[in-house]
Amino acid sequence: MATSKIANELLLPQVLTAVLELLINKALLLNVNKDSSLQDVSGKTITLELAELTFPLSFTVGSAARVIVSSLTDCSDCTISTSVNTLKKLKAEQQITQLVKQGELDVIGDVKIAQQFAAIAQSLEIDWQTELAKHIGDVPSHKMVQFGNKLTNAVNKHSTQLQADVSEYVVHEKRLVATNGQITHFKQQVTEVANKVDTINTRINTIFSLLSSKK
Amino acid sequence: MSSPDQNSQANDASVDKTMPADNSTTHFGYKTIEKDDKISMVAGVFHSVAKQYDVMNDLMSFGVHRLWKRFTIDASGVRPGNKVLDLAGGTGDLTAKFSQLVGREGQVVLADINSSMLNVGRDKLRDKGLVQNIEYVQANAEYLPFEENTFDVVTIAFGLRNVTDKDKALRSIYSVLKPGGRLLVLEFSKPEHELLNKAYDFYSFNILPKMGELVAKDGDSYQYLAESIRMHPDQETLKTMMDNAGFEQTTFKNLTGGVVALHKGYKF
Repeated sequence: MATSKIANELLLPQVLTAVLELLINKALLLNVNKDSSLQDVSGKTITLELAELTFPLSFTVGSAARVIVSSLTDCSDCTISTSVNTLKKLKAEQQITQLVKQGELDVIGDVKIAQQFAAIAQSLEIDWQTELAKHIGDVPSHKMVQFGNKLTNAVNKHSTQLQADVSEYVVHEKRLVATNGQITHFKQQVTEVANKVDTINTRINTIFSLLSSKK
Repeated sequence: MSSPDQNSQANDASVDKTMPADNSTTHFGYKTIEKDDKISMVAGVFHSVAKQYDVMNDLMSFGVHRLWKRFTIDASGVRPGNKVLDLAGGTGDLTAKFSQLVGREGQVVLADINSSMLNVGRDKLRDKGLVQNIEYVQANAEYLPFEENTFDVVTIAFGLRNVTDKDKALRSIYSVLKPGGRLLVLEFSKPEHELLNKAYDFYSFNILPKMGELVAKDGDSYQYLAESIRMHPDQETLKTMMDNAGFEQTTFKNLTGGVVALHKGYKF
């Protein structure tokens, strides 16, 4: 409640919607896979209610193929209630049903619209080299993108290595955290013990009922 | 530049900001003028600043006016198919968003008393490709040229303080709203904290006119802006005025510490 009040005082919903609107429309403008899919959802609104945010985010495709982002909830064609982590899993359309079953996702309204919006998001692809070349020329942009790719690869490689080293240290050397396999094994053992306790409980109840009937 | 006396006059609660001394006069900033003269004097201000209006808004408010307008849109509850009147709509910031939210079945009327502002707004919206559901009307808020019960939503952003007879304008708006429709008034107001009030006064009377002189080559218009803000009814007074005009469930929300307030009222 207090967080919501502070967010509203600082106009955070408006700041976030303004930034998102700017980024989305810029991305749509630079998208190399321009097709008519945006026209299919023209006038439609999808609303995201994220657990991490105290306000909803509504995305409306307006005329002139622009997306309007607001905190309006009155006119949504589809409302998705979820968390940021689950949202990442939503990249695969077929996961929607599974996530709904697991209770990680709640969809109210037309699911088809959610799928159409997801498809548009997945089709976004920006040719950064071409965009950069418009400003600084072909050769410098090629060199910069090449350098950027090398840097990204190096960072990814080092971060993977770092992750492996940290997990080795934490799990095996210091034994601070259990592995997935150990947790699963522990869960199995707990289930087995619970089953045995249930069986014994049933037997005791049976014995008690026999004794009471003999009396 | 205003004198300290003028500032204290504006902040003095005993000064009646809604009703001038007699029925034939009104305020133009701190000046008391004949009612009939106000329209042409305000028109002079906006003819002068129309072309630099957007740039000046961004400079003066450090871009925050965009967030205040977004807040208004979020509070409007506008739906596809709605009919919206953006009164004193100026350069069309609200109209641009409303036009896309109401869709093809809806309609937005951008109304302003000033032809220069309307022309700048029309050019800007057309450049954005927004043409299909927007109408432009040059109209005085006191005498709206629309049938009764026409609009689902009426907004007036940073315009009411320039209107000569605010009560008459509110009654006129009430008349054109559909039953169930809502009015949103976004307007400068009275800061909630004394320290903020002082800083705001210093900024308004010392920096703002100089900015206006530098960018729009018109310091006097921005001096008027600062004075007109101080003479505008505070939050509670405006709420009472809306109640008196017939609006129900009237509320207001202070934004940026009360520098701006969004008033909302319904017609049932």
